[in-house]
Amino acid sequence: MVDVTMNRQGRRVLFKHGSVLKTVVLALLIALIVLPLLRTVLFTLQPDTVRAWSDVLTGRLSTNLFYKPLGNTLLIGVVVATGCVILGGFLAWLVVMTNVPFRKTIGVMATLPFMIPSFAAALAWGALFRNDRVGGQVGWLQGMGLDIPDWLAWGITPTLIVLTLHYFSLAFTIIAAALATVNSDLVEAAQIAGAKGGRILMGIILPVTTPALVAAGSLCFAGAVSNFATPALLGLPVRMQTLSTRLFGMIEVGQVGRGYVIGILLVLISGAFLWAGNRIVSGRRSYSTITGKGGRAKRFDLRGARWPLCALAMVVLVSSTVLPVVILSASSLAPSSANLFSNWTLHYWIGLSSQSIAQGIPGIVHNEDIVRALSVTLALGLAVALTGMFVGLLTSYTTARFRKGWMSAVITQVSFLPLLVPGIAFGAAYIAYLGAPIGPFPALYGTFALLVIAATAYLLPFSVQTGRAVIQQVGGELEESARITGASFARRLAAITVPLAIRGLTAGGILIFVKIVRDLSLVVLLFTPTMPVLSVLAYRYASEGFGQFANAITVVILFISIAATLIANWLQAKSQPWLKN
Amino acid sequence: MNVLEATRLGVIGMFLSSAALADGHLNEMGPEELLPLAQAEGKVTVYSFTSRIGKVEAAFEEAYPDIDLQGFDISSTEQIARLQAESQAGVTNADVVYISDTPVVLTELLETGIIAPFVPPRIAGRVPSEYQSPLLAQRLSTKVLMYNEQANPDGAPITNLWQLTTGDWRGRLVMVDPLQRGDYLDLMTEIVLRSDAMAAAYEDQFGKAIELGDAANAGEKFIMDLFANDVILVGSTDDVNVAVGAKGQENPPVGFTSYSDRRDNEEEGWALQVANDVKPAPGIIFPAVLALAAEPKNPAAARLVIDFLMGDESETGGAGLAPFYVAGDYVTRTDIPPHPDAVSLDDFTAWRIAPHETAKIRSEIGDLILTLQ
Repeated sequence: MVDVTMNRQGRRVLFKHGSVLKTVVLALLIALIVLPLLRTVLFTLQPDTVRAWSDVLTGRLSTNLFYKPLGNTLLIGVVVATGCVILGGFLAWLVVMTNVPFRKTIGVMATLPFMIPSFAAALAWGALFRNDRVGGQVGWLQGMGLDIPDWLAWGITPTLIVLTLHYFSLAFTIIAAALATVNSDLVEAAQIAGAKGGRILMGIILPVTTPALVAAGSLCFAGAVSNFATPALLGLPVRMQTLSTRLFGMIEVGQVGRGYVIGILLVLISGAFLWAGNRIVSGRRSYSTITGKGGRAKRFDLRGARWPLCALAMVVLVSSTVLPVVILSASSLAPSSANLFSNWTLHYWIGLSSQSIAQGIPGIVHNEDIVRALSVTLALGLAVALTGMFVGLLTSYTTARFRKGWMSAVITQVSFLPLLVPGIAFGAAYIAYLGAPIGPFPALYGTFALLVIAATAYLLPFSVQTGRAVIQQVGGELEESARITGASFARRLAAITVPLAIRGLTAGGILIFVKIVRDLSLVVLLFTPTMPVLSVLAYRYASEGFGQFANAITVVILFISIAATLIANWLQAKSQPWLKN
Repeated sequence: MNVLEATRLGVIGMFLSSAALADGHLNEMGPEELLPLAQAEGKVTVYSFTSRIGKVEAAFEEAYPDIDLQGFDISSTEQIARLQAESQAGVTNADVVYISDTPVVLTELLETGIIAPFVPPRIAGRVPSEYQSPLLAQRLSTKVLMYNEQANPDGAPITNLWQLTTGDWRGRLVMVDPLQRGDYLDLMTEIVLRSDAMAAAYEDQFGKAIELGDAANAGEKFIMDLFANDVILVGSTDDVNVAVGAKGQENPPVGFTSYSDRRDNEEEGWALQVANDVKPAPGIIFPAVLALAAEPKNPAAARLVIDFLMGDESETGGAGLAPFYVAGDYVTRTDIPPHPDAVSLDDFTAWRIAPHETAKIRSEIGDLILTLQ
């Protein structure tokens, strides 16, 4: 009898503040995120690999192995982040605060580039601007008789342009959301006091949106420095290396130790910048923009500049969304990218193997590898959407329900850790982690499970974020009353939270699906020939000179991504308040 | 064949193959004996360093319709990294490995027990013993200097490798990044190993003895000068072939590529030709080897593929050898006549690599190239 009471008490202590749930979630996150990173660091500290650190940092190789790629990486990060904030901020200002024509169209189009895989834009750039430096097919402009200089065809300039046109939509989303919350009282007060538009912009709007600008800048920076596809496709032919292409190259040729060291340094750099951005913002506390109800301000009248600014926005948007799609579609049909719009053939789509075209590679419909990659990719997207939303919901539920305690704080921090880790470094970490058997568990190298686990962990920040939004939508009272009536955790989840949140969950799941389907950097190292995914196949075809197949596959990925994104947008129509009138 | 029958055959097959393995008999079997076992296995996976595996796949499946050959075109360098990772993970994806890069293959794959040798008994008497061990060489392949014969109707525009380091050829030598493809690293390594010949050729070209400067020897000096002269590095040999060989160019570059890629001249509209007379040598000639995975999932089918790739009993080896019976590839089987359109092996001046010598300094040369990029 005494025993029983003791047990009860023990249990009560154990269950206080959801200790069990918190422990389970924390253990899961440590296994998914912390251990792989730790394993990578430990790998480089083994006696026979520790030399890699001095090779990379101080030896005679270090200039080419690390410092030059580091210089390129930082240049890319800074320029792209600046460009994105300017471009994204300009568009956000147009859409949210002015009476520019086609506001809604601009608003929707500005969110699309981020849904297009960045290697699509890089491939499209090649189809247009490729010159004869490295032989093979020249691009359309060179084919038209223009002499494209090396600096425009290859290397840092095209990388900067392509990445800016890719990441600005991330900046747009963040800045637009912030601008939409700017209290109109402030603006109106200034207007009444007779301040001009420029003064209002510099004096009110910029200061209160600083956190959003910094956040947008640091996220774009982190994205740009870790991007693999664009510098690989546009930079390698002129020997321009970034840290991510170096990391890939080292691992591909079996110099794993050096590769991991570069990966660790890349994580530190990208993490340092995100942290610094965070510090700048949190240094000044009062940024609150939502204070009571202010009516929406009268839109800033652009007067004569309405149409010119609209045209300017359209040039940017068309060249970052419509143009890549058109070019890729055309070049998947044209036998020669020098004549993009003539002699179109469906061979690269539906042709049978022919000895005289492309070493006998059949069109993608008949290509076993590609069909298999399509099914693996779709299955991966679905599996990760499910596991990601499950772990995300579990994590955000735990931290929302049991806010107090160090465990919750740690869970929150760890769940956002992957944001600091570039995809390619994360892939490398997972090879170190699950590439060899651990105790009784078999190695997962080359298995579908490895892809799913790594992708789930990699996308956890997004799934937790979505999970949090979903939980907040579901009022706590319902759950509370169910708990009082004695419903178990699983039952509450199944009967209340999930049914109410299903719309948000589905939308979140679709976004995760899109993110993994168009991802290259995470999977490029996890890829094995017997477990192919579309994006890696496209990359391999592109780097082996079979541009048409690469472009055809990319068009398939594009359509899957855009269709899924539109569905998700439709499900979450409320998440873009700046589009409302 | 109905399902029951298939299952029964499969069971018999498994029984037979494990029995055969236990006795080590599989290695002595000819294609007729291997066939029923291979059919029971039903499929076989091949990692191949050449894209010609696509043609082999078609030919093999035509000859053996019941066996699905899955061929993957993976560069030798990547194959080595993948096979090591797979072996560390305890996974066997490939049954057959068709690979060059022998300096690394011998030390990293064969001696570590990741792959195993196999010589089909049918052809064992018809391949010189130097090409049977430690691994069976199917043919000799090349990485040599090629030029555009349409733009240079009077012969190669280069007579001495050192000319490539002069202003005339600035930015006009194309090759694959030696850090990405082992064959090219082997080529660079061989140039260093042949430093004496390189030094002599330098004197021939410039009329004075070589000054080494920072370089340790004439070979390294050549590599450093080559990179200083804006050598163009690309991702694959096909990129080299197009850059050098495409017809209609006024002033085409030269490039290191496979002599045998000349076979595609007609199909692709190229005008590739080998610069065989260049001093001291146009490049390297090296074996392309066939091996089994240490523990193949489909042991009988794997052996059948190797048997098939060594060619049949017809005069030029039939469908299995057809993709490789081309000018510029030197099949190791002594009973197959040399290809009529190629420079004969005896007249071919390329250096033959000695895998063990190459292996000794290869990673050092790799690091040197890393500092030059």
